[in-house]
Amino acid sequence: MMADRRRVNGPSGGTRPAVFASLAESGTGVSERAQRQRQPSELRKIFLKTGLIPTASGSSYLEFEPSASLAAARINPKSLIPPSSALKLACTVHGPKPLPRSAAFSPNLVLTTHVKYAPFAARKRRGHIRDASERDLGVHLETALRGAIIAERWPKSGLDITITILEAEDDRWWADAPDSHDASWGMMNVLAGCITAASAAIADAHIDCLDLVAGGVAALVSDEEKQSSAAPKLMLDADPAEHRSIVSACVVAYMPARDEITELWLKGDSSKASLENGDKRSVHEALLDGAVDAARGAHTVLAEAVRESLLKTVG
Amino acid sequence: MSNQRQASSASQTPHLSPAELSYLYTSLSLPGSPIRPDGRSPTQFRPLTAETNILPGTNGSARIGFADGTQAIVGVKAEVERTTLSADTLDAREFDPNHDRESQEGSAAVSGHGSWVQMSIEIPGFRDDDALPVFLSEMMRESLVGSVGADESGMAGGLKGRLVINKRWHWRLYIDVLLLSQPLSYPLPLLSLTTHLALLSTKLPKLKSQGEEDPFFDDDWAVAEYLYPRSSSTLKKSPSQHVRPPVTLLVISVGDNVIFDPNREEIAVADAVLAISVTRGEGGGLKLLSIRTIDPPSRLTQPGIPNSENVNMLGATPAEENALTQATGEEEVSGVWRPRRGGVKRSVVANMVRTVLKKGGVGEEVLEGLEGVEVV
Repeated sequence: MMADRRRVNGPSGGTRPAVFASLAESGTGVSERAQRQRQPSELRKIFLKTGLIPTASGSSYLEFEPSASLAAARINPKSLIPPSSALKLACTVHGPKPLPRSAAFSPNLVLTTHVKYAPFAARKRRGHIRDASERDLGVHLETALRGAIIAERWPKSGLDITITILEAEDDRWWADAPDSHDASWGMMNVLAGCITAASAAIADAHIDCLDLVAGGVAALVSDEEKQSSAAPKLMLDADPAEHRSIVSACVVAYMPARDEITELWLKGDSSKASLENGDKRSVHEALLDGAVDAARGAHTVLAEAVRESLLKTVG
Repeated sequence: MSNQRQASSASQTPHLSPAELSYLYTSLSLPGSPIRPDGRSPTQFRPLTAETNILPGTNGSARIGFADGTQAIVGVKAEVERTTLSADTLDAREFDPNHDRESQEGSAAVSGHGSWVQMSIEIPGFRDDDALPVFLSEMMRESLVGSVGADESGMAGGLKGRLVINKRWHWRLYIDVLLLSQPLSYPLPLLSLTTHLALLSTKLPKLKSQGEEDPFFDDDWAVAEYLYPRSSSTLKKSPSQHVRPPVTLLVISVGDNVIFDPNREEIAVADAVLAISVTRGEGGGLKLLSIRTIDPPSRLTQPGIPNSENVNMLGATPAEENALTQATGEEEVSGVWRPRRGGVKRSVVANMVRTVLKKGGVGEEVLEGLEGVEVV
């Protein structure tokens, strides 16, 4: 176990705020699952702004629109437990800067990515040391960005990209017990946000790229009690807290100008799922196309944010 | 060391000259029939030796060695553990007064939980928190626990369902992967095949207690049951006997060609690298569990310099006017290596997945080959 002995840590187990049974029984809607209010192909609104961290050569801040139930709960809180969460993250880019003397020669820009959840980002507290899933996210992000950056223009230099996740997505609705389809689905939405934010920060640092690379998620979700009764539906930018179970999900990092994917991560067993009649694509192809559509949507926001940052530097 | 760590997912940066890379790329991208350095066909795997049950202290184990000297050992150990819902899940049904305590421990206890499978990978030269081992173990674990039950009960299907003993107890599985040699090529195919074999040979002691009793096992090892039931006769196969551990295949695309099980030199010139996890579905067909892109090492290579830009060759070649376009480095000069840039087209991904999944394709061939390894 990687225990952090240099700091005084909170309890490893953690506690939950009390929820009173009377509250749940009275039908005030505390223990009701949030419903998706958007169309299947409609994304959440994205707030993206660059240049908020003056000490970094490039930075960006990204926020997803909170779901309707979360917004309602914030205005008129009925419980200590928020019904869902919305992604918030900050990204900084340091560099290009010379590599340390001890490093080996590199003809290309050396990219280092570092993704960290803040200890308070999720419902369960995260430690100060990066765990396996955070390192895994870092590798995914590195793959997504390395394809977009024109690395040979900065030989012998390094670029550090650090992402702090202030509020993460849930993996499922908080009151659900994990079921057979359970996995860390929230991580996929987080990765898509990381890609979009990192791309804006890299543009803010004026580093040459082939195109702005945007992240998008599509998922096959089933909302029925019985899994077999209805075919799962394809949703873009699915919030795991709003659905009973997610069968399969896919993240891409996509460059619209070249119609190319630099990062693809698909998981979930979609063998029993089927699409609507008349759709000849296989399930994974439909997921991939859906994720690309979501990335196209994110790209419009990204392009606007980069234009804003450019106008700020010019005048 | 620092160099090794930065080239995390891409494994090692290849030490090949731009001329060698260009030669390799040209021969691998020949339309229709790529020429591989070791003469294999595009879908052929490297020859390997395999044995199972080599570690007496484990529930299941396997060793695979490739002809180039890379070897891996996998040991699977199982422990009985009490099932508790973790602190971050709060079952809303707790509030329901009509619900009795028994049925409420609910779905996690029936369908299993992904965290019951733990995987650790040890690769010489890497720390256990370096990117490559972490990435590999997450990749293999996610396909292992991602496969779900064949029917609604969940018991017959995926690995998670099999680990359930009863509502209060479950098995915890530790899969420890040890690469014995230096990672000469990207170690994913080797580690995945070895893990598959080790899981096939894994036996759990036969349960003597029934229902919700505290588990009590038969101490005769000879009657222990396979974690993945073996089909004794080919005549009648119940659906559960089709269920096999997933196998993760490393696939690269070079030009229009799709190449399997690349060695170190081949992966160095790949346009795109995908890790595709498949397993056998209920009907005996193949099903897809996960796809991940892997950073192709070709992005880290050194570019070749065309004669027109080479200072030593000044005057030897006719001067060109388009110096401007060359500065951007976008155009390709045939026979001069350029590091790959950008990503992969959707059609290429679809083509790679199709090659794996198609009937009689590589996925089936690999699973059949592994089935053929005698489990003692």
